[in-house]
Amino acid sequence: MTSFDVYLQQVINGTSLGAMYALLALGFTLVYGILELINFAHFNVFMVGSFVGLGMLEALGVAPNGAALTGFALVGVLLATFAVTMLASGLLGVGIERIALKPLRNVKGPAAMITTIGVSYVLFNLVLLGLGADAKNFPSPLPSVSFAIGGAVLRLREILIWVVSLALMGGLTYFVQFTKIGKAMRATAQDPEAARMMGVEVDRVIIAAFFLGSALAGAGGLMFGLYYNLTSYVIGFTAGLRAFTAAVLGGIGNVPGAMLGGILIGLIEAFGSYWISAAWADVVIFSILVLVLVFKPAGLLGRVAPNKS
Amino acid sequence: MNTSTMLTALRPIETARDRARRAIVTVLTLVLIAFPFLGNAFHGLGLDWDIGDDDVDSIANALAYATLALGLNIVVGFAGLLDLGYAAFFAIGAYTYGVLTAFQVLPPWSSFWEPFAMLGLVQKYHQEAGDLVHFTLSFWIALPLAAVIAAACGVLFGLPTLRLRGDYLAIVTLGFGEIVPIVFRNVPYVTNGAAGLNGVMAPTLFGFNFRVDPTPYYYVGLLLTALLIFISFRLRDSRIGRAWMAIREDETAAGAMGVDHVKTKLMAFAIGAAFAGMTGVFFVAKLQTATPDMFGFPVSVMILVMVVFGGMGSVWGVVAGAAVLSLLQSWFLPSLTQWAHAIGASLDNAWLQQVDFARSTELIFGIILVVMMLYRRDGLIPATRKQHALSFEAQNVQGVRRGGFEPAATAKVLGDLPRQSGNLLEVRGVTVRFGGLVALNKVDIAVPAGGVVAVIGPNGSGKSTLFNVITGLVPADGGSIRFDGAEVLGLKPYEILRLGIARTFQNIRLFANLQVIDNVMIGQHARLRTGLLGAVLRLPAARAEEKAAQVRALDIIALFGNRLAPRLTQVVSALSYANRRRVEIARALATRPKILLLDEPTAGMNPAETLELAEQIDSLHKQGLTILIIEHKLDVVTRLADTVVVLDHGEKLVEGKPDEVRRNEDVLRAYLGRAATEAAHAA
Repeated sequence: MTSFDVYLQQVINGTSLGAMYALLALGFTLVYGILELINFAHFNVFMVGSFVGLGMLEALGVAPNGAALTGFALVGVLLATFAVTMLASGLLGVGIERIALKPLRNVKGPAAMITTIGVSYVLFNLVLLGLGADAKNFPSPLPSVSFAIGGAVLRLREILIWVVSLALMGGLTYFVQFTKIGKAMRATAQDPEAARMMGVEVDRVIIAAFFLGSALAGAGGLMFGLYYNLTSYVIGFTAGLRAFTAAVLGGIGNVPGAMLGGILIGLIEAFGSYWISAAWADVVIFSILVLVLVFKPAGLLGRVAPNKS
Repeated sequence: MNTSTMLTALRPIETARDRARRAIVTVLTLVLIAFPFLGNAFHGLGLDWDIGDDDVDSIANALAYATLALGLNIVVGFAGLLDLGYAAFFAIGAYTYGVLTAFQVLPPWSSFWEPFAMLGLVQKYHQEAGDLVHFTLSFWIALPLAAVIAAACGVLFGLPTLRLRGDYLAIVTLGFGEIVPIVFRNVPYVTNGAAGLNGVMAPTLFGFNFRVDPTPYYYVGLLLTALLIFISFRLRDSRIGRAWMAIREDETAAGAMGVDHVKTKLMAFAIGAAFAGMTGVFFVAKLQTATPDMFGFPVSVMILVMVVFGGMGSVWGVVAGAAVLSLLQSWFLPSLTQWAHAIGASLDNAWLQQVDFARSTELIFGIILVVMMLYRRDGLIPATRKQHALSFEAQNVQGVRRGGFEPAATAKVLGDLPRQSGNLLEVRGVTVRFGGLVALNKVDIAVPAGGVVAVIGPNGSGKSTLFNVITGLVPADGGSIRFDGAEVLGLKPYEILRLGIARTFQNIRLFANLQVIDNVMIGQHARLRTGLLGAVLRLPAARAEEKAAQVRALDIIALFGNRLAPRLTQVVSALSYANRRRVEIARALATRPKILLLDEPTAGMNPAETLELAEQIDSLHKQGLTILIIEHKLDVVTRLADTVVVLDHGEKLVEGKPDEVRRNEDVLRAYLGRAATEAAHAA
């Protein structure tokens, strides 16, 4: 492998990881844009999503070491799995909002944030107690097709991640820009009071934000499983922190910013692991978080609602 | 009501509940002191409980958690900074002691180490290949040393991050809490990596080695907890504790009242870190090992749960929270598991026979966090007690003085105001832009020393922005503001306050959950000097200063007669709107201002209250205080002001005597519109 090939491989790995982080970061950004709340429960909605995906694949008869699917069967299984996982994760997000966060909507101070930590902890421990501490093999219906680009290898799973992420992000951008509820979301992010007076049902907007964000996190969790061929109750924490860093890096509250931030964090992780060592990757990423917050708190693309104090 | 009767009113009235609480604390303290030697004493109470080493050990652990909770309480409870990586400081303290006593870092022996060996800090460790140095730092030196190191780390980490908004701070501390154990894991030559340090030295006291006997650790833990409880109370009831709470309640208002918020937050962070650092030493000495996994996110969350469960900001609350949750883990859940197994055996239920409730500790913690936040945010033992409503008699002890404040008392409160000529405050060509909007455009305003200038203008004309730019809350895009000859543009709000510019806010920004007296005391923050050491030791100077500050606060409150005097210890959020305005003025007067900026002080008051306040402002003016006032009520303006400045769309429209301004066409047009002005002329 030439050094170019090595770099190309890191770009392939980094953008794949980054696409997952971006999906997760979008959930942070949607909720933060509207409620100015860091939703720690999001970490483990991602984790639960990967287990829902696992369950769905098993239910569809995809076994850890079974034969790969092709053609319509493959597309059908993937579509069904993504749909169910995203729906279940989205509903989980909405449920969390209804039960634990709505009663605290007008409470000042850190109460709501502390609640999301509690919810996150509950999800984490329910999965740990219910399904055990050991990492689970994640069945993959994908054929092990790969392409050699010079010395670098591009696998089908990476292509899948890119395609699905691009489709979801495109869909989200369309939704936020052009649908009625998407416009209401942007208006609420700018100024909830004014939006309310203009007839926006802020409550529905909040539900939509939680549903969409959590559904994307679920898709991210499923991709995590397909990518690494395993999942575990611990995956939410690290991925969540990296995705939050991505959201801040891009400019929290800013949808394109979250996507850009996700890809950048993925690349930083890939190249950081290569140049320094995987053991220090998180130290590098958190240092970036601190540096961005201190020196450029609006992030690369700026916040959506700069007027809010 | 005069100051001395008010002082008596400040003395806490001991209720039956207070007495009960004190009795409980006393009995518990006595039981705790005797606990390791009680043996089977509980048999006498009908309890089948033989106290063994493991029970002593459980309580020693609970005490360690209590000290951690006390430290986090200073950060989260007092100062309102959500720190999700608190365990990092615990780790730093633990590794400080661990590395300096374990057989891990062993540099080659040389004569350089001789003096350290004489002090007992190192020992020669004999090896075939050549002698090595074994660090043998004394536990008793390590305690304060780890406190200092952890505090220094807290300052280093806090310096860039404490400027951030609260929610960002939470995530940054979470990252810090992640990084620290990773660093310890990744430097195995210092820390032995993930396997952890081995052979951490047990403490020795006068030749007695603690080894693995829990009893001496128990007493160290008890003393440490008592010390930190004492420090917590001393700090809470000091100038520093008040500043923490002011920041927690309203950071902007705290800055405008003279609290340097970065420095004050850093102090909270450093003290919290110091508590954790000391606990780290204690914990590691007791366990005689340290691994990175002992200090991860779950530990930070557990301590947070203890603080939230016990009551954020409540010293006894967090100690109780830590004790209950820690004993839940070591006593209650194992017992519950045994009972379940016994029941399962008799019912032949497989699940009950295998269940282990101790594994669900963290699940329970998560549920506690959610349930407490939803249903009982103040915790088990709330920090502030609910106040009773005033009786009718208490409210009517003495009528308020008409015709303004009593002159002698006012002069005493205001102190020596320099009698000078010329302008005290000069605003020249000040421009403020918010994006494309020009809020102030090259505005000039001069306030002569001892004068009263009123600023009027329609809503959105830039009046409050003018106040904000003078007090440093918004930056200017050009111009100059000179106060007493010195430029104030570019200074921080607390620095501007120290020069003698005090203000009130249009939408009242008091410290809502604090008492009237505390709000007024915080106003004096910048004029007091007590530091951390003075507050903890309550040195004579600190004591005298606190007493004088209290008397001064009461003098100021007494100016308002029965409006505020009977409500000294009420929480301000419980006050009427007019009274909150009065407290805000009292708080501003407490800062020893040379100029007072009043932003619509009579807004929302009825005519009688308006007149009363106008007279009071006038009496401040008569005693020599310079005043800049924003006011909509023209009768108040006419009564008080020498000069009236009219702002419209961020520009100065007119300046002149009240009567001139009242008749000015431009002013009428700005307020009423052209048609109305012409109609008035036609009529």
